[in-house]
Amino acid sequence: MPNDKALEFSKTTVRNLNTLVKRMPRWLENEAPKANIVISTRVRLARNLEGHAFPNAAEKEELYAVIREVYDALASSPQLAGPMFLDMLRLGKLERKFLVERRLISPPYAESDNPAMLVVGEDECLSVMVNEEDHLRLQSIQPGLNVEEAWRLMALLDDDLGEHLDYAFTDQFGYLTACPTNTGTGMRVSLFVHLPALALLEELEKIFKKLAPSEITVRGFYGEGTEVVGNVFQISNQLTLGRTDDSIVKRMEEVGEKLVSLEDEARERVLDEQVVQIYDKVYRAIGIMKYARVLTSLELLNLLSYLRLGFDLGIFKNTDRSFLNELMVTLQPAHIQKKYRDMEDELPRDVHRAHIVREKISALF
Amino acid sequence: MLCQICKKRPAAISYTQIINSKKTQLSVCIKCAEEKGITNPLAGLPEVFSKIVANILGEELAAGAGEITKKTSSRRCPKCNTSLDKFEKTGLLGCDECYQTFEKELSALLRRIHGSSKHIGSRPRPRRVVSTDRDLVKWRAELEQAITKEKFERAAELRDLIRDAEREANGKNSGRSRKA
Ligand SMILES: [Zn+2]
Ligand SMILES: [Zn+2]
Repeated sequence: MPNDKALEFSKTTVRNLNTLVKRMPRWLENEAPKANIVISTRVRLARNLEGHAFPNAAEKEELYAVIREVYDALASSPQLAGPMFLDMLRLGKLERKFLVERRLISPPYAESDNPAMLVVGEDECLSVMVNEEDHLRLQSIQPGLNVEEAWRLMALLDDDLGEHLDYAFTDQFGYLTACPTNTGTGMRVSLFVHLPALALLEELEKIFKKLAPSEITVRGFYGEGTEVVGNVFQISNQLTLGRTDDSIVKRMEEVGEKLVSLEDEARERVLDEQVVQIYDKVYRAIGIMKYARVLTSLELLNLLSYLRLGFDLGIFKNTDRSFLNELMVTLQPAHIQKKYRDMEDELPRDVHRAHIVREKISALF
Repeated sequence: MLCQICKKRPAAISYTQIINSKKTQLSVCIKCAEEKGITNPLAGLPEVFSKIVANILGEELAAGAGEITKKTSSRRCPKCNTSLDKFEKTGLLGCDECYQTFEKELSALLRRIHGSSKHIGSRPRPRRVVSTDRDLVKWRAELEQAITKEKFERAAELRDLIRDAEREANGKNSGRSRKA
């Protein structure tokens, strides 16, 4: 970074990253609406400053100018409540990967070598990427199905910043964004839903087809062939122009409710028709987690899905949801490397992962 | 199938995206998935997808705006120098002025993507902090424009702003909520 008083935030980057490694974000917490099916709700807003080229067409100097211009607005926002600032250029590959796993930055942001600043609010529910595809990408995450609350906090932050900044905006096109898929409201709502019963009954395809007319994008992981990995899907609104913010919020809340009722009903059917098989799958997963010596991150995703399902169906009760959420986040590769590096450095990661899982699960079963 | 990122190791997982019943897949090996931090569906969208989006945009643009001749596709934005050609390749505009430069093409494209080319969502609150002389000049100009274009709501906002600034009410005005 150039020698500049406004860019002093850069100095605290490493300390702030270490703080993140040590703590857990609030969106992992226990009680939230429909948390048995919707893991979390995320709202993102794309915003640009008037008069500066978008990051893909800007010189480095201009990107520094953007950082200077937004710094005060971000630092003084009551919504962010004294945020942490991280200078992306001070972070190595592993640290960036950690931030992707933590959902604070996007994979393209992790790979960019542009001057960029990550801003993280108090409990990680609000954060801002500066100089991603757009000058500002604001993010609001809430546990469970809670589009309204995620949006309420997001709108307050957006208003805070708008008091200090001139956003690129026209009456015709709304908020101007680098990619026309975001133009208008610049708003993307995503629900992260766990649909193991619908997957078991092989009804996902049919349901996703039915959602298509509601202007929805579905993303998920599949293994080789058609087998789903981890049973978690990201459901997002596709359109941002010609819709009001409130109608997007309402639509996504409805889509969430719909998926919840379908999965709920599927879980009842699964318990009804395949109760032995379900118990078997859940306890096999627990068995593997208790005794495996090598666990890849992908295998673990499936095991955690069954563990979650077992808890949600009431097959066992001796844990809570925040513990299950925590496992999903902390056992990702970069999290393991950052958190346990000093412990047993010589162990390869998959062996190490199995070791940690073994300890955590053995304490319960 | 080989991993689409490293093109060396066999793919173990495919990242799937369904838009309008249309499925796109990205198949990757475990190493690359871990490398990109995408071994958990809670994380983000891998970069390769933005390129696919760019391709769709290219097609959409060509279809929506009719024949794009050599001449139009090399047209450049005077402010950021982005050409229509480049936009087709990357799917990204270079600055706010691109929206004016390519207004015709973009309107058609936006209608195809969103089914609309008119924003009806919320608008930014007028800036209230640090009102400098430069702002006053800008606001007065905008106010005049708003009045000629009969955008009275905006004109009223601006009038308030200018009055407040002129009274030198320093800094803290009570904010209005977006929903009011
Ligand atoms: Zn690979
Ligand atoms: Zn431009």
